[in-house]
Order: sequence, then structure tokens, then C-alpha cells
Amino acid sequence: MKKVSIVFSLLIFVLTAFVSVSQLFVVPKGWPKQGYDFSRNPLSNEKIALGRALFYDPVLSKNNTISCASCHNPYNAFAHADHQLSHGIEDKIGKRNAPALVNLAWQKKFMWDGAINHLDMQSLFPITHPDEMGEQLDQVISKLKGATIYPKLFYKAYQDSVITGEHLLKAIAQFMLTLVSSNSKYDSVMRHQAVFSNQEKNGYQLFKKNCNSCHTEPLFTNHEFENNGLPINKILKDFGRMKVTGLVTDSLKFKVPTLRNIQYSSPYMHDGRFARLQDVLKHYTLSIQKSATLSQKLQQPIVLTSNERVDIIAFLLTLTDNSFISNPNFNYPKYNLYP
Amino acid sequence: MKSGIAVFVVFFSMNTCVLFAQTTSNTTLNFNPKFGNADLQLNDAVYTTKINDSIWIDVFKCYVSNIALLQNGKVVWQKKNSFHLINIANQQSLQLMLQTPAALAFDAIQLNVGIDSTTNVAGAMGGDLDPTNGMYWTWQSGYINIKLEGRSNKCLTRNNAFTFHLGGYQFPYNALQKITIPIQQIKKINLVIDIQKFISSIDLTTQNQIMSPGKSAMFLSNQFSTIFSELKQ
Ligand code: HEC
Ligand code: HEC
Repeated sequence: MKKVSIVFSLLIFVLTAFVSVSQLFVVPKGWPKQGYDFSRNPLSNEKIALGRALFYDPVLSKNNTISCASCHNPYNAFAHADHQLSHGIEDKIGKRNAPALVNLAWQKKFMWDGAINHLDMQSLFPITHPDEMGEQLDQVISKLKGATIYPKLFYKAYQDSVITGEHLLKAIAQFMLTLVSSNSKYDSVMRHQAVFSNQEKNGYQLFKKNCNSCHTEPLFTNHEFENNGLPINKILKDFGRMKVTGLVTDSLKFKVPTLRNIQYSSPYMHDGRFARLQDVLKHYTLSIQKSATLSQKLQQPIVLTSNERVDIIAFLLTLTDNSFISNPNFNYPKYNLYP
Repeated sequence: MKSGIAVFVVFFSMNTCVLFAQTTSNTTLNFNPKFGNADLQLNDAVYTTKINDSIWIDVFKCYVSNIALLQNGKVVWQKKNSFHLINIANQQSLQLMLQTPAALAFDAIQLNVGIDSTTNVAGAMGGDLDPTNGMYWTWQSGYINIKLEGRSNKCLTRNNAFTFHLGGYQFPYNALQKITIPIQQIKKINLVIDIQKFISSIDLTTQNQIMSPGKSAMFLSNQFSTIFSELKQ
């Protein structure tokens, strides 16, 4: 019996070792394999540290005022609090709400419309966008060459102090890849280490019935583009995925966002139109707009009493992962930016 | 298990032999950007189109990838996953060394103009593929296969400018062009890229700003693929 259990635990050990790409990135138990190809960008502590410094450094913007973290704040699950639409350089207002950055290693297309095809390439967009950081990539690189810390940090990371676009982009991607959130109350319940309250349990059942087809466990997204029945904003005229594919059948479709840490990433939707989760639930139950591209999954109305809506919200709050929000490895790297 | 390793070793050494055999000779490949018969120069040089319009070229860059040499329609040598940015502002980029076996016979060269879709979705890369080369779209991922910018008084745009940034890798707008060019001088391959031929195929009054994937980019990329030929000695 003892022998069997030793063999068994060895087996488990081997299996779990297999699941982790390296100690720096571990696929949580029961989760699908990540989509990111680490063999092209193997993680290292030094590269992650470099990416983290860059993520928090306004040097990436034209007038050195805006960093990635200005719009993706760690205390808001790396979303932008209080701004419906992102707020960039010289107070310019963008066209969309900054999404939470979490579990990006599982995602294959980025932005609300999937315009970016790889996490490495994501940083190019904000750096060069006139309403975000307004800078040119080669300009950023010459600034970094002149900075005191970066030639050193690049050398540590790549054994090469020559700063290239490839290394810059890959280092920022490395930091973002480490932003894994898998320690919410929901996760503890799934691991049989905690139990839901009755209200949360009821909310979970209702969620599975009405929401899980798009916000699919355990990542709380099916990684598809869907039209969830939001009426179009007449000023922004944002048709979502159609802009990228040119297909009318993609009109009004947007990326299904994760709901992990949803408590912290208000306001909600691609244009930040809802401030509170109550407003979101009201939308799904009362004001789904019919249109040619409305998702099949929402053709039947979602019927929920006001108590049931409250229960779903109670469940959504179990997706909050405080160890993620306050992870000291994720926030401002004082030691690097002010050594 | 042991035999597995032995097989691996044999396989590996065979591989290196092949590699050594291949590095014994070099074939140079030169690109000669031209406007008609004249060597193409940027900015100040003024050219005349076939319909007597004046035209200036300010930027000309394009990607060439997966070069192969053919004999009777069969590939006899190829360089997989090779990507070269041809930039007329950087003369060095106009010459490539192909590490071919000695006495290789071939009668045509095959290459892709642009970057294939697999490479387009593979994330950040260095060297000629580094996004700092200005050949990558930032607002919607993808390489720009061909960049041609200039001025013509036929363009009723700011500074009379025309701007072609051609690319796109997603169906149905995959703009990659595979071309095959017959070659007679095999010691030194000299290819002409005749911009005049490209410009003559379009009406600059109506078509002067193409900067995203789509139907127009497909059409122009296809036109562009016809302007390569062997230099007449
Ligand atoms: C001015 C605010 C702003 C700045 C600065 C900014 N972002 Fe964003 N970010 C946004 C907005 C808005 C979106 C969504 C845009 C869209 O979908 O069109 C976004 C989307 C993203 C996404 C896609 C997330 C997803 O789930 O699809 C990632 C990743 C990201 N940003 C990373 C970064 C990085 C890295 C930087 C710094 C180099 C940065 N952002 C700087 C506002 C900003
Ligand atoms: C048909 C697929 C689908 C279904 C079913 C669905 N959603 Fe969504 N959900 C989406 C899409 C797509 C978005 C983003 C829409 C946008 O911004 O335009 C979204 C956005 C959200 C957001 C905002 C997230 C953020 O970060 O801004 C919340 C919260 C949300 N949904 C909760 C729910 C709940 C609760 C249910 C069940 C009652 C549900 N959804 C059912 C597709 C769906």
C-alpha cells in the first residue's frame, strides 16, 4: 500500500513537472495548455525584470509622461480605473476601454477586435498610437540606449547591450505572460479547499446556465468574438471585429473578455459604458439588442429575478484574486527604476 | 535505446556532411532597382512615366523570402526561412550571398515577395524582420511586404504624395507573391526591379494611398510581382 502511494505521488510529481513550462510559468491544474509558444521566447528572471521595468516606465511615450501602467494599473487588475475610454498622452482620449491584463498566455488574439495577432506585437500599438503614447519605435530605442539603466538591464537579459526592437517587445511580453491569476475563491472551491456560500452557489449554477457558453471556465472566456447585444454607440460607431476582417458577418462582434478580477476592472465593455456589475446584469436580462449578428447563444432571452441577478454578482465576486492584485512581483519595480 | 542514440549520431553527422558540402561555393544575387533603363535613385532624381508625367521616388523597400534555385522546374537548392529586406537607401541590402554547392546547374530563381502567413503570426523577430525596420503595421498586426512612396503631379494629395504600403496575410487578402524568373547568367544572378513598369500599371490620380490589406493591396502586389526580370547584359 505504502509502495503504491509512493509510486502514485512520484507519478503526480512527474505529471505536475510536465505541466510547468518552467518554474517561471506554471499552468494551473485543470487548465488548458497555454497558447503562447515559449520556445520562441523562453522566460528568464532577467528578461521578466526588464519587461517589468519597461512596462512601468514612461520613457516609452513621446513626452515621457505615460507608461503602460498608466492605463493598465496593477490595482485594477491591470485595467484603467475611472476612465470609460483610455486616457493617453496630452489628455487625449482613445476610442476604447483598456482591458484587464490577465492570463494573456492563453489568448491568441488581442484587443477588443483581435487586431493584434501575437502578444509580442501588442506593445507596438500603444507606443506608436497618437492618442496613447505617441512615440516611434526607433525613437524609443535611441532613448533607451541613452538611459542609465537600460543598456545594463538589456545586457543582463540578453548578454547583449545592443537594444533591438525584438528584445524590447519580447521582454515586455515576458512580464505580461507572468500575469497569471488562478487563486480566487472560485479556484479554491474547485480545488476543494473552500466552499461557496449558498448565494454564491446559486449564482454559480445560474452563471453556468446563462453565461458560461461565452465566459467559459476556467479562463472565463471562450476566446471568441461575439455580439452580446449592446446597442451601438452613435458617436464612436465602433463595429468591432468587422474592421479587422472586413466581413459584415463580424459586425458588432467583440472579444469575449475574461471575468476574472471583474470586481476591480470597472468600467465594463469595450467602451466602458457600464460602471457597475448591476448595470451589466440589467443589460443581459432587459436590453439585449436584436441584430443580424447577435450571438446564437443570446437568441433566447435571459430571464433572472432581481435576487438571481444579485446571486450571479455574488458569484462573480468569487473571481477576485487578491494574491494577484497585491502580488509584489507585479507592481512598480522601484529597485530598477530608482536603483 | 542505445541503437536510438547511434541512429541519431549517424543521422546528425550525415546532416553536417551535407552542410559542409553545401558551403563550398557562393552565388551572388544582386537586385537592381531601376526606373526604365535608369538606376533608381531616391528623392531628387526625377523620372518620366510612359505617359509623360514627372515622378519622384522617396522610399522603396520590399521583403524577399524563401529563395530557391530551379533546374527544369525542380528545386535544386533552397534557403528556407530566409528573409531579406531590400532597401534602396541601404546599398548593402541589394546584394545577397547564396551558399550553393560548387557547379550547381540551374535555369531559374524562385522567390517570395513578402512574408508568409506563418511568419506573420510568430511574434517578434530580429534582424531584417525587426519591427524597427518600419515594415510592420502597428495598429493591426502584419508585415508590410512592399513600401513604395513618392510624388507625382498626378496625385491631388498633400505634397502630391503617393504611398503604397502593401501587405496582408489573412485569407482572402494574402498578398504574398511567389515568382519564378528564368536565369541565364548563373555565376552572378542579376535581377532588375523596374518601378516604371509598376507605376505604368496604375492610375495615380485615382489610386495613390493604399496602406492596409484588402482588394487594392492584392491587385497592386500582383502588379508588383511582374516587374522582376534578369538584367540584360
Ligand atoms: C492610453 C492608454 C493605454 C496605454 C498607455 C497602453 N494601453 Fe494597452 N490597451 C489600451 C486600450 C484602450 C486597449 C484596448 C484597445 C482596443 O481593443 O482597441 C489596450 C489593450 C491592450 C492589450 C490587449 C489585451 C487583451 O486582452 O486583448 C494588451 C496586452 C496591452 N494593452 C498591453 C499594453 C502595453 C504592454 C502597454 C505599454 C507598452 C500598453 N498596453 C499601453 C490602453 C492603453
Ligand atoms: C454570447 C456570448 C456571451 C454571453 C452568453 C454572455 N456574455 Fe458577457 N460578454 C460577452 C462579450 C462579447 C462581451 C464584451 C462586449 C463588448 O465590450 O462589446 C462581454 C462582456 C461582459 C462583461 C464586461 C467585462 C469587461 O471586462 O468589460 C461582463 C461583466 C459580462 N460580460 C458578464 C456576463 C454575464 C454575467 C453573463 C450571463 C448573464 C454573460 N456575460 C453572458 C459575451 C457574452
